[in-house]
Amino acid sequence: SWCPAPLCGGRALLRSPPAPACPLGSPLRCASSFSQPGPTENDPSEGQVLLSESCVKITEGSEFLRLQVEGGGCSGFQYKFSLDTVINPDDRQGQRGVVVVRVFEQGGARVVVDVDSLAFVKGSMVDFSQELIRSSFQVVSNPQAEKGCSCGTSFSVKF
Amino acid sequence: GDAALRRALYAHVLNVQGRCLYDLILYRLHESPEEEPHILLECDSSVLDAIQKHLKLYKIRRKVNIAPCLDLSLWAVVPGEQAGDTGGSLAQCADQALILTPDPRTEVMGWRLITKKGVNLSAIIPESHIGNIQDYHRHRYKQGIPEGVEDLPPGVALPLESNLAYMNGISFTKGCYIGQELTARTHHMGVIRKRLLPVHFSAPLPKNSIPVGAEILTESGKSAGKFRAGSGELGIALLRLANTNEPLCLNIAGDKVKLTASIPEWWPKTAGK
Repeated sequence: SWCPAPLCGGRALLRSPPAPACPLGSPLRCASSFSQPGPTENDPSEGQVLLSESCVKITEGSEFLRLQVEGGGCSGFQYKFSLDTVINPDDRQGQRGVVVVRVFEQGGARVVVDVDSLAFVKGSMVDFSQELIRSSFQVVSNPQAEKGCSCGTSFSVKF
Repeated sequence: GDAALRRALYAHVLNVQGRCLYDLILYRLHESPEEEPHILLECDSSVLDAIQKHLKLYKIRRKVNIAPCLDLSLWAVVPGEQAGDTGGSLAQCADQALILTPDPRTEVMGWRLITKKGVNLSAIIPESHIGNIQDYHRHRYKQGIPEGVEDLPPGVALPLESNLAYMNGISFTKGCYIGQELTARTHHMGVIRKRLLPVHFSAPLPKNSIPVGAEILTESGKSAGKFRAGSGELGIALLRLANTNEPLCLNIAGDKVKLTASIPEWWPKTAGK
């Protein structure tokens, strides 16, 4: 798809110096701190967000990666990455006043996804991709997504 | 122009492939940018639930309330036949209504009025009389103004062929939107060969006698386009601009029905070439 604006919004984060690129994905352990019981999933990887090796090497200490989906972009939805240290953020929603999130962890690296966004990215893999033009976190192989834009930020959904 | 200042905006919701899904008129209720935005959407009532669902899909975590306004009435105030019907006198009546503003699509559609249900209209617009909804649709078809899912079938109609640009419903300088790829490319390539046009049959036809998408032919039997929707002897059809000045016909159950197309008066003067 075609994004005429100079850069789609919500672009990913740059980290220096980058480690050499690593092949994708080992299976992960899923830690569900702060989450509420949800519908049971038949396939263990179905409701999860996977982290690639390159992600594990990049995030450090008490920082974790937050992945959100918002409406926007040329295909309807876009990914938004941010680095954070607080799992329960200030913005509160819902009747109980708490944002429900799922935490996915591997090798000490964590990615946090709120349940509203998780519906759009479950089963995806997050990769830290290094190219000449930029180094950034990317969502690769999202089973919920249909067409997407060529810069990888905006996508449309199958459901 | 400054879209933020206008009271009403015409727009289409497109799908990712660039086809029309829903046609809308948006009305601004809040008075200044400092106030919380409060917007009314006018849509085809048969897809009210589908539109709400569609909007909610893209809402995700944003704090937006979307709800139907079942206590409001929507009116079209169409210019009368007599000379001297001016918009000037209408503008003075505006504070009696929730919304009273020129139809954003074109001057020939007059004004849009939104009031609470049950309000006495002659209290708002003196010397007006309530007309027949069929007359409203006939007025639209005479002028070639598509409205609703019958005239703009979701997933089928294309925005530029539906004259969205002539009806002030699209910006070619705004940022990303769904369906932009095909729409912007068609616009920049510059050639739109077919458009929705008003057609006039030689005699009134019974409702639903014309199959959806019925082929319209030139006298020599070549395809000139497809019928879209109509009422009586009037309708709109998607026609090749090259064929608009010729006599045309349709086949209905073996009978040949003649029709003529016309270029609407409200189109830009450079149009229809």
